[in-house]
Amino acid sequence: MKNRLRVLRAELDWSQADLAERLGVSRQTVNAIETGKYDPSLPLAFSLARTFKRRIEEIFEAEQGRL
Amino acid sequence: MTPLPNKSRRSLQWNRCIPIPHRPFMRTESNLPPQVSEMPGPPLLPVQSTWITYRAQIEIGLALLAYMMFLVGSVTILRANPDASWRYIVAVVPVAPASLVLFLFARRLARLDELQRRIQIEAFGFSLAATALITFAYGFLEGAGLPHLNWTYILPLMAALWAVGAAIFTFRYR
Repeated sequence: MKNRLRVLRAELDWSQADLAERLGVSRQTVNAIETGKYDPSLPLAFSLARTFKRRIEEIFEAEQGRL
Repeated sequence: MTPLPNKSRRSLQWNRCIPIPHRPFMRTESNLPPQVSEMPGPPLLPVQSTWITYRAQIEIGLALLAYMMFLVGSVTILRANPDASWRYIVAVVPVAPASLVLFLFARRLARLDELQRRIQIEAFGFSLAATALITFAYGFLEGAGLPHLNWTYILPLMAALWAVGAAIFTFRYR
């Protein structure tokens, strides 16, 4: 799943570790979500949306043909 | 006291009822995380940062060490006193540090986040399947004439394969 996490993080000048601490997950997990290797659970996606004050659709984008 | 003009009273109420984070003359900067260089207090010693990062691993390692020491002590005492009436109690004593290992291990698993949990499940699955494969294969080899091995080798084999699996799946999500 594509996402805009890296851009949103850069806008706020947060490191992966900063974001991980705010979400209560490991830096490894933030990195895996960012690189698209892991799709977060719904609760984690919602806390991401809350953290960036955006809707989930503004952060994640389903790849064509998979939904 | 003169009553306030209608317009400004409304704006006062507006200000009171709806908190707007970015209204003028209020705090507008974002909640940036504190810079590490500006953190008060002396910098962390290497030993302190190691404890913060690897606390669970260190705790489980120390508990395992305690278990092994209790086990060696218990076996040594039992060998020296094979007919004592208290031998069952001494034989059961290592269960206490083993329960500590179990408790710390379960706590560590409960504190993992969702990706780390997935990695552990995949590693356990890998370990289970690989152990089954290896023990079955060796079982048939035993039937063909290889020497019989002790059953206690199975758990270390499983643990080693679990570590290998955890390394593989951690690398996959990097």
